[in-house]
Amino acid sequence: MSMLEDRLRTQHTLNGARPKPVRPERSRSRLSSVGPPLLSLLIVIAVWWGSTIVFHIRTFFLPSPPDIVESFLKLPDYLLKEAWVTLSETLMGFGIAVVAGMAIAVLLTAFDLVKRATLPLLVAVNSIPKVALAPLLLLWLGFGQLNRIVMVVLICFFPIVVAGMAGLTSTPADVNELAKSLSANWWQHFLKFRFPWALPQIFVGLKVAISLAVVGAVVAEFTGAGHGLGFVIVMSGTSADTPLAFAAISLLAVMSIGLFYLVVAAERRLLPWAKETTG
Amino acid sequence: MIHVENLCQTFNGRRGPAVEALRGIDLSVDEGEFVAAIGRSGCGKSTLLRLIAGLLPATTGHVSVAGDRVRRPSREVGMMFQRPALLPWRTVLDNVLLPVEIFGWHRPTHRDHAHELLEMVGLREFDRRLPHELSGGMQQRVALCRALITRPKVLLMDEPFSALDALTRAELAVELQRIHMELRTTIVFVTHSVQEAVLLADRVAVLTARPGRVREIVKVDIPRPRSFGLNSHTDDVGLCSAQLHDLLLSTEDLPSPAPVVPLQSREFRVDTRADGVGAHRRDM
Repeated sequence: MSMLEDRLRTQHTLNGARPKPVRPERSRSRLSSVGPPLLSLLIVIAVWWGSTIVFHIRTFFLPSPPDIVESFLKLPDYLLKEAWVTLSETLMGFGIAVVAGMAIAVLLTAFDLVKRATLPLLVAVNSIPKVALAPLLLLWLGFGQLNRIVMVVLICFFPIVVAGMAGLTSTPADVNELAKSLSANWWQHFLKFRFPWALPQIFVGLKVAISLAVVGAVVAEFTGAGHGLGFVIVMSGTSADTPLAFAAISLLAVMSIGLFYLVVAAERRLLPWAKETTG
Repeated sequence: MIHVENLCQTFNGRRGPAVEALRGIDLSVDEGEFVAAIGRSGCGKSTLLRLIAGLLPATTGHVSVAGDRVRRPSREVGMMFQRPALLPWRTVLDNVLLPVEIFGWHRPTHRDHAHELLEMVGLREFDRRLPHELSGGMQQRVALCRALITRPKVLLMDEPFSALDALTRAELAVELQRIHMELRTTIVFVTHSVQEAVLLADRVAVLTARPGRVREIVKVDIPRPRSFGLNSHTDDVGLCSAQLHDLLLSTEDLPSPAPVVPLQSREFRVDTRADGVGAHRRDM
């Protein structure tokens, strides 16, 4: 990360105005942002485990943490394979939604008339719960993976479009005037001013979309796919294998959190300037 | 260098009547000259600047820069705005070189020039920093370098110091004077600060509001370098400021009672200054 290194280097060579201790601030914030949540997670698990022992809760009703680990260790290959199915659907759908959503956002903001004609429609369509479309998708696209990917695309497409449009129209007036005074053409204006300026807001959309993408994949799997963690959960419900359901849910949680923090990490890496300017 | 002839600008209100922003503006600026346009807010001074820049098409009238009629923004003209409008993801150096990239010029050949400009405003060691690491005054200095990197014939400045605190504003005005004496770029400087106008301008166009018209063009005949501090021309600066204040705060129908004093007559100075202050109070 050369930009950060450069900044740190200039930090040391400078003795002038506004010395800002970059390094200590960062490491402190990292420790303090990971420590407390981890601690509270451990406490929750401990309380849960303790209650199952103290109140003699049956495994069928609420399995204790070791039951879940045991259930996972009975079928690790199977569960990981199904997790991979869910993960690949999620990533493919998310990828398609990002490309298509950004393309639509660019198109719609390029022409004011098109934007005014379509934005209300998009907002209206966005308010339809996409999950309700799952049975229809099944009817139209069958039981295959396509059905599930389309579901993921549908559910995370709109947040990306809306965030992209908001970002691309958020360039400050004085920056637009600067571009105009330099006679920048449409491409230059887009690449050098509008798109970078939109990135922080686009990432807001991406963070919403990546969480929804996992939801989309699981919902699609609920409707009788025969594959994926969503199917495992439905199946274990019907066979009253609660620990297996919990194992699958835990895997989903890990996947979902991991994907979210991947997006956050990408944002930190690509937009080191955004944290300071947008707070 | 700049000729403005009978320039009028009317904005059509979306609802309600059209707004006449400028009426019959005549102004010409010589090469290397520093002209300030001063007026209250809403007198159309920013509109005048945008018309000279080619950012707005004029309703009627004629603007030419360096002999060419202005129809669109020109590469010969650099601009500076109220806010620095730096791109937060670009380092100071990259921000300065932005116009070079947009003009499609060879970046490495202009790097040294960028460093010279940064050196000139005292930001040589800050070239790798990001804008948010700089103070407001430093950011505006970077914006000045960005406006100068293309070696424009004309520099248009739209209240460039008005968003800064009073001391930084004074400091930057003194610095701009030094840079103007060094580079001799033709500058049109829009401001609402009498202090800045007197320090910087060779001539000051005083604008009236609604519609904006040139009320008077005041020649500031004070030797450079001028300063806000105590020195041989402190009296002249005070007198000229008082004269501009009177022009700005009175109306044409109700002329200021203060007589316009010839700047050279030293005996009169103390008396008329006292008069000027008195007149001021009566005006309010």
